[in-house]
Amino acid sequence: MTDLFVDRLVICRRQQYVGKVRFAHFDMHVQSSKKVLVATEKNVFASLNTRTGEVYWRHVDKTGPEGNIDALLMHGQDAVLVVGNGRLLRSWDINIGGLNWEIVLDSGSFQSACFVGQQDSVKYVAVLKKSAVSLHYLSNGHQKWVENLPESETVQYQAVYSGGNGEVYTLGVVPHSHITIVAYSVEDGEIIKQISVDAPWLSNIQASCAVVGQGMLICADPATVSLYMLDLNVQSQMTQIPLQSLGLEVSPGFQPTVVSTQPNPARPPHSEFFVQLGPDHYQLLQLNNGQIVALRDFKPAMLVSFATTGEKTVAAVMAPKNKTGLYKSGRRLLDTTLIFNMDPNGGKPEKLYVQAFLKKDDSVGYRVMVQTEDHTLTFIQQPGRVMWTREEALSDVVTMEMVDLPLTGTQAELEGEFGKKADGLLSMVLKRLSSQLILLQAWIAHLWKLFYDARKPRSQVKNDVTIENLSRDEFNLQKMMVMVTASGKLFGIDSKTGTILWRHYLDNIPSNAAFKLMVQRTTAHFPHPPQCTLLIKDKDTGLATLHVFNPIFGRKSHITPPALPQPILQSLLLPLMDQDYAKVLLLVDDQYKVSAFPSTKNVLQQLQEMASSIFFYLVDSSQGRLSGYRLRTDLSTEMIWEVIIPTEVQRIVSVKGKRPNEHVHSQGRVMGDRSVLYKYLNPNLLAVVTESTDLHQERSFVGILLIDGVTGRIIHEAVQRKARGPVHLVHSENWVVYEYWSTKSRRNEFSVLELYEGMELYNSTVFSSLDRPHPPQVLQQSYIFPSSISTLEATLTEKGITSRHLLVGLPSGAILSLPKMFLDPRRPEIVSEQSREENLIPYSPEMPIRTEWFINYNQTVSRVRGIYTAPSGLESTCLVVAYGLDIYQTRVYPSKQFDVLKDDYDYMLISSVLFALFFATMISKRLAEVKLLNRAWR
Amino acid sequence: MASPGGQGGGALSTRGGCGVRRMKWALELSLGNTRSRSDRQGGQGDVVYPIGYSEKPVPDTSIQETDKNLVEKRCWDVALGPLKQIPMNLFIMYMSGNTISIFPIMMVCMMAWRPIQALMSMSATFKLLESSSQQWLQGLVYLVGNLLGSALAIYKCQSMGLLPTHSSDWLAFIEPPQRMEIMGGGMVL
Repeated sequence: MTDLFVDRLVICRRQQYVGKVRFAHFDMHVQSSKKVLVATEKNVFASLNTRTGEVYWRHVDKTGPEGNIDALLMHGQDAVLVVGNGRLLRSWDINIGGLNWEIVLDSGSFQSACFVGQQDSVKYVAVLKKSAVSLHYLSNGHQKWVENLPESETVQYQAVYSGGNGEVYTLGVVPHSHITIVAYSVEDGEIIKQISVDAPWLSNIQASCAVVGQGMLICADPATVSLYMLDLNVQSQMTQIPLQSLGLEVSPGFQPTVVSTQPNPARPPHSEFFVQLGPDHYQLLQLNNGQIVALRDFKPAMLVSFATTGEKTVAAVMAPKNKTGLYKSGRRLLDTTLIFNMDPNGGKPEKLYVQAFLKKDDSVGYRVMVQTEDHTLTFIQQPGRVMWTREEALSDVVTMEMVDLPLTGTQAELEGEFGKKADGLLSMVLKRLSSQLILLQAWIAHLWKLFYDARKPRSQVKNDVTIENLSRDEFNLQKMMVMVTASGKLFGIDSKTGTILWRHYLDNIPSNAAFKLMVQRTTAHFPHPPQCTLLIKDKDTGLATLHVFNPIFGRKSHITPPALPQPILQSLLLPLMDQDYAKVLLLVDDQYKVSAFPSTKNVLQQLQEMASSIFFYLVDSSQGRLSGYRLRTDLSTEMIWEVIIPTEVQRIVSVKGKRPNEHVHSQGRVMGDRSVLYKYLNPNLLAVVTESTDLHQERSFVGILLIDGVTGRIIHEAVQRKARGPVHLVHSENWVVYEYWSTKSRRNEFSVLELYEGMELYNSTVFSSLDRPHPPQVLQQSYIFPSSISTLEATLTEKGITSRHLLVGLPSGAILSLPKMFLDPRRPEIVSEQSREENLIPYSPEMPIRTEWFINYNQTVSRVRGIYTAPSGLESTCLVVAYGLDIYQTRVYPSKQFDVLKDDYDYMLISSVLFALFFATMISKRLAEVKLLNRAWR
Repeated sequence: MASPGGQGGGALSTRGGCGVRRMKWALELSLGNTRSRSDRQGGQGDVVYPIGYSEKPVPDTSIQETDKNLVEKRCWDVALGPLKQIPMNLFIMYMSGNTISIFPIMMVCMMAWRPIQALMSMSATFKLLESSSQQWLQGLVYLVGNLLGSALAIYKCQSMGLLPTHSSDWLAFIEPPQRMEIMGGGMVL
């Protein structure tokens, strides 16, 4: 039981993520600093520890374009961010993550920003918008001046640059015509000069130009395969330098780019710069007195980067060592190499960030952070040691499943014995003996380990989880979480420790893919390995692929999934199994033809037998069409019902059926007079949510439709007038709970629908949707909820005996475990004897949020997008995973731990009392005998 | 009732009483086990019985012939015993109420157990009633009384809700109905 106690300390696990990194800067102002500042595509600005990869602090902004981080500039202790397409300018203190200041910028779409320095000190930030440029003090954000840009209707201003000479240059281009350069005085914003240079080949400054050296603008032109040079300080024409004259060649059809570095904003950029000549070809060049000199050629080179420490600047080049995915990162100025292994299926590296630092002997050391296509950050130290990796793909989990872990090797051995075919009596006996011997051996080893560990202090006992020692625990509380992320990377995470046990990157995942994960075979069928199938559908083409893998080890299965030439509409996992115990997956294509996977003879035969009882439904929200189909024996289908919801009035938002692994223990509810109100437990019931297209607050409405998925019969229809989405819905047992925004009262409301068959069961042995003459009784009640919610899910337990709770993800990051008892349409307004007998809480319109209902205490989960619940081996316990930006795993006990002894259960006391009583009885019996004998003697 | 050894004890007591005082110990092989009794009856032993007094009670033979009515009455008492308890039981039932707690449960158990016990030992009761002329009638009354008592106990159980007479009592045994159709699908991906 102490195990459970220790468990409790670790069962609440949160992992914080930041998302795909867009900008990253190392903290340079202190030599021994351990911070890297990242701004991500998830609108998160965070500071990571470079030693461990943990998050020091993190600021999560609004989602969507409003919180989009446009630029990140770092100087000293200050990090300046432009947020929301130039809406806000913020300065953060990078040590503690506090906000220095924030100002609202004038409207206008953001183009570029840079620091402006003078006499070696950086004082201002220049922000370039579409039609204006403004200068702000770095210390307090106040605006020093703002100037409208000349001819901003025609000229597209794209870059701003300052070389520390008291001038701010804005660079604009009229595509395919000329470049306009406007120089402003830092002091008062007066236009010092305005240059216009012909550049008919140029369309985008930021993509192809960079400022190098003492204010020399260098642009690359793919058409003429040459570099153009323009001195910003003097009015002149652009000088063309053909790349061939430098002995360089550009890969055909490649747009060359220029990479330069300006380590100190108060000083001009360095005169060394890179030109990318091909997808894996870089050239280091130097600008020397107006002449470009080729320094070194890097081919193959995947990524380049500059880094500066003190007065020293280094250039880093990342090159693949060979095709197996070994990459090295070497540098020209030091010419040292750092070789490290990269995950061969982790995708190509995308970005390279280098942290240079001065060693004690004044030489330059460096560390490298590499970002790859699968959104992984890898931090590498010399000599090629990977210090940490962050799987930022996990900030965008799309779908997940929890899979039971396999039995231990010994258990499996025993199971295997019964799985195999019998071959003679003697060999069977021998096999049994050998497996018993193995069990004995394992048991002794286990005892020895226990004994060995017991001598060590608890903190030293390491419980490293690896794939090899994974095994199911006594109560099946530890499971494998299989997570599918939007980037196409799959993860296998141990639910107990949160360790990533395997990862698998699927490349060529389209950006708007739809995923559906199904467990075809669980671990229960040893020696057959468990099997998961991921359906990946490209929403543009409609074509789908299947990825079949082992969820425990992450390896791709040797079973070849069928090729799917037709666009796939839906899939359907049947409870039928083939001879290898894999559940049959049906795929419905756009011709409404069905294909089975696996499609062995056995399966097809079973399908033929069962065809008449297999139904499926499809919901097309763009056409507002719900349709039901029946399978024919030749695997074609036949439409049997159709419901059209006019799309002009309302659109279908979501459809939810019941979870297939849900068990309902009690078939009814006991009333106060001890009669039974039987639940309407239709496994084929669907809850369809519609929202009105008219969003006017007087006319908008939310509709809930309960439809039988087999017959298409509308069981119930509820309309919430003056209500608006987003609607969150949970459909389970005989109830549907949904939440919406009431525009009339301006508040969030919960509504619950419960369906009952009545006081008598129509048919207690079988449920068939085709034979249901009586409509169910529907009860409904609504409540006010004091907060908006992000997601809603219900707990799930093994047998469904435990009472249910609703898990509500709040935007504040808390997860609320709300007893379903509070959402009960039978809550009476007037308390009667019977309702008291039933333990019904009297109705009150307000639903409370009690802080003790938060299952994650202070560990807030940012931007919860989904909650996944899974039953464990203990009936009282439900495993919960909340995912969003963070991942949080815990257990909930909706009816307390009724099947587990308490932690403080006093074994010693109770057993000693028992023994004492036993001995007392023995002794007193003996004494009584003696006394009787004595009395008899008298 | 006089003890069977009383006679000898009376004769012995004079010796024994003095003997105890005089001697440290004495061994009497013939009458050893009556020694203690002789001690106890020592006080009486000094009494000299009058002439004609017999310590043995003379059996009263007149009762068998003369008071048959008394036997009948006794038997009727036995037979009507259970019936007589019913009003008392009713009162207890009323007082204990219908809540499920230790005392009402104990009451109900008692009430239920006593008639059952009585019914089980019916033959013994019949033996008691053997001497009566209205044996069968009395037996019947006794039976009815006990049955009424147990009916009362059952009624009490019922009103306390201890009997599985409602459909809710069998709810836990209803198996979930078997599913006839397999259904699946969803939004077009």
